[in-house]
Amino acid sequence: MEQLKFIGKRLLYLVVMLLGVATLVFILTKMIPGDPTVANLSQRALNDPEIVAAYRAKHGLDEPVIVQYFIYIKNLLHFDLGTSIRTNKPVLDELSRCYPATIELALFAIVIAAVLGILFGIISAIRRNSILDQIVRAISVTGVSIPSFWFALLVLFFFYYKLKIFPGPGRLSNSFAAPATVTGMYVIDSLIEGNIPKALDALSHLVLPGTVLAAFTMGLITRTTRSNLLDVMSTDYIRTAKAKGLGKLGLILRHALGNALIPVLTVIGLGLGNLLGGMVLVETIFNWPGVGQFAYESVLSTDFPSIIGVALLIALNYMVINTVVDILYGLIDPRVRCN
Amino acid sequence: MKKKLLAMTLCLAMAFSCVACGGSKESGDAAATTGAAEATGETAADASGSNTVVVAMGGGFSTLDPGYVYEKYPPVVVTACYENLFKFYTNDGAPEPCLADTYEFSEDGLTLTVKLKDGVTFASGNKMTSADVAFSINHCKNLQGNPSFMTETIESIETPDESTVVFHLTQADSAILSKLTYSALAVLDSAVVKENGGTDAADAATADTAQAYLDTTSAGSGMYIMTSYIPDDEIILEKNPNYWGEGTNVDKYIIKIQPDANTQMMTLSMGDVDVALNMTDDTIAELESVENVEILNAATKTVGFVMMNMNETYGGPVSNPKVQQAIRKAIDYAGVQMICGQGTLTPYDIIQVGFMGSKGERKTDYTNVEEAKKLLAEAGYPNGFDIDLTVTDLDMEGILLTDLAQKLKDDLAQIGINANIVAQPWAAGYGDAYRDGTLGFTVMYWGIDYNDPNVQLEFLPGAVVGLRAGWTAEMNPELAAMYQETMNATDNDARIAILEKIQDAMYEDGPFVMIAQAPAHIGYNTRLDGVAISDPYALDLTLINVK
Repeated sequence: MEQLKFIGKRLLYLVVMLLGVATLVFILTKMIPGDPTVANLSQRALNDPEIVAAYRAKHGLDEPVIVQYFIYIKNLLHFDLGTSIRTNKPVLDELSRCYPATIELALFAIVIAAVLGILFGIISAIRRNSILDQIVRAISVTGVSIPSFWFALLVLFFFYYKLKIFPGPGRLSNSFAAPATVTGMYVIDSLIEGNIPKALDALSHLVLPGTVLAAFTMGLITRTTRSNLLDVMSTDYIRTAKAKGLGKLGLILRHALGNALIPVLTVIGLGLGNLLGGMVLVETIFNWPGVGQFAYESVLSTDFPSIIGVALLIALNYMVINTVVDILYGLIDPRVRCN
Repeated sequence: MKKKLLAMTLCLAMAFSCVACGGSKESGDAAATTGAAEATGETAADASGSNTVVVAMGGGFSTLDPGYVYEKYPPVVVTACYENLFKFYTNDGAPEPCLADTYEFSEDGLTLTVKLKDGVTFASGNKMTSADVAFSINHCKNLQGNPSFMTETIESIETPDESTVVFHLTQADSAILSKLTYSALAVLDSAVVKENGGTDAADAATADTAQAYLDTTSAGSGMYIMTSYIPDDEIILEKNPNYWGEGTNVDKYIIKIQPDANTQMMTLSMGDVDVALNMTDDTIAELESVENVEILNAATKTVGFVMMNMNETYGGPVSNPKVQQAIRKAIDYAGVQMICGQGTLTPYDIIQVGFMGSKGERKTDYTNVEEAKKLLAEAGYPNGFDIDLTVTDLDMEGILLTDLAQKLKDDLAQIGINANIVAQPWAAGYGDAYRDGTLGFTVMYWGIDYNDPNVQLEFLPGAVVGLRAGWTAEMNPELAAMYQETMNATDNDARIAILEKIQDAMYEDGPFVMIAQAPAHIGYNTRLDGVAISDPYALDLTLINVK
């Protein structure tokens, strides 16, 4: 019952927040200079008042801003995000098309980041101030500070172009047709089709962009795991456990890691939220048709409905992830559950 | 512990390697492969069996509905899947009949009668008739999209019989054949389009709902059928089994949308793509050492120009004809060519090299700083002056306008003009100011709307671009009158004569200085024949064969 109340409260909070985000983004997009008519119509078409009037009428741009807002909110309450000014298609359809590609890549990246980040963090904490610790810290600092577009070009150049180990840009090799859409995630859809080679091919295409995207979050997770583990290791209950003769590995895995992981979960959640928002440059270099590219094109075209749609999606990502992280806190630490 | 950690790390590394090199023979239609060419030895050439060609091109478009296409790359697809009454079979040639068999202009140039070819069928098997032609043109016109202006001189269309189309024009239009080659005026299978929500009625702008259908498949009579379109990712074209003409030996095209030039260079080098449309000077250098790759460099008809407003309120000192001449003399055209890269040309004036009637290139020794200083002194500015040079966030075929503005600033500094670069986004003020003619001094570019020298007439006084520079017809009535004279000249020799007169008149005078024809670089695998740079279509897939 308590759990249901918690989820109910969260959902209500979610709806209010989304309306707030929609209002805020709507106001901001209307405040910034930029006219979608100028951005989307050609120079020649702009000279024809009839074409300009038809275009403005078609996209509701001829209405006063306040009327546009109420129409937008009314449509939003009916789960209608409007029609993209740039593509002339429903924004919801556009997001449904490109979001699965981003989810697939983000999930792959966050798994790499979490596994390697926690592993490196543990190594670094156990071997504090050793050469191994220095190496791990150097890797994490590099991961956090390396510009993703440059890293993307670098890994593509070496691992695809020079060493020929990993496949190049795109989601599938030329010999495979895209799987029938069920989830929109090629690995899963290929498995649903029962096509293992296609699923492996799709998975192999995730490696390079996934690694590039993982680098930043992995660096953060490593550093957070290391510092929290070191803090926990210096507490009294660990000293007691040590005095009872517990081995180092058992001590870390059974007693220290659980407590050290709570802040790490927050970092993983934020990292996933960040990745689900789409990464324009990495998506462009790896020819990945995700939310980042869609958002970029929408901004260039001053496509208000799409910009607001992407903003809502990002807000929703963070809210859902935060809720999941809160629930996971409870699972890891019973004190949170009690509170 | 150390060993365990090492083992875990190794396991992770192995897992990645397995994923990267994984893949075994797939039963069914497609051969198994991974994306790594080395892993399987597979390239674009044998990716899907027989003659499949993979093309990489830029994005920036969101529909393949012919009625809306206006951007650079959709014509690659539309020309392969649809056909027009006329077509450019070579880049610098004249439009030739495609679905048209014969054509005739009335003496006053106000009527164009086109007889259609017999035996043309659409991919659906439907016969192509004059009704389809009329539907397609009216469809584009009434959608009121970006390319609708192409039909502005067409007053009405008559279809006296199944194989005759009569265009009644509002005025003589010597470019009408070129306009009819444009992808937006491709002939659609009207029955199929109507079935899927299409309409050519006057309210098509709101009533037409065929775009969703035409973004998933094609409805034309072209050599190929579009079987899949994943926006920002991939387009697949397969051979039209009902094609009425003689096809090439390419069975299938996979078109990859790859906006990044480096990515295209790498995929071309690796053999994952056969044609890369967006090569740059840097990527060309990398490709020079790659076996089986050829490079094409040529000037496009996209032209960069300096605009000096004739209205003193906006132009200030640059509205002075002597100052305009001085600026024309001060520009280092060879330096601009260096910035734009291999293949760049400086046109003689407003008619680009490659167009009928072009007078070729501006002389390379035209630049003369001393003479420019003298002209400036004659204009009353012996010590030069300060002026804002507004520039926007656009690029001309990949060349940033800000780079051109910087070069102009440096060149003008040589004669004492201090140009202060003011950056203004296109959609946030620049576009409106440019259109309203309130920009005083700017660097801009002009991409051709359709492949005909008449598009350049807009630079004349009183015409669309002329007015943006505050150049009204009254300021030069003789030159302004040449607009209509050129439009009326359906005889090519007569048209060439007028176009040459226009170029001579504007070579040293007027508010525009054409500084560069931007280059295009295409890289392609030598297993292909017929790859060529195309101004109207970017790349004509129907001319490519596998050797």
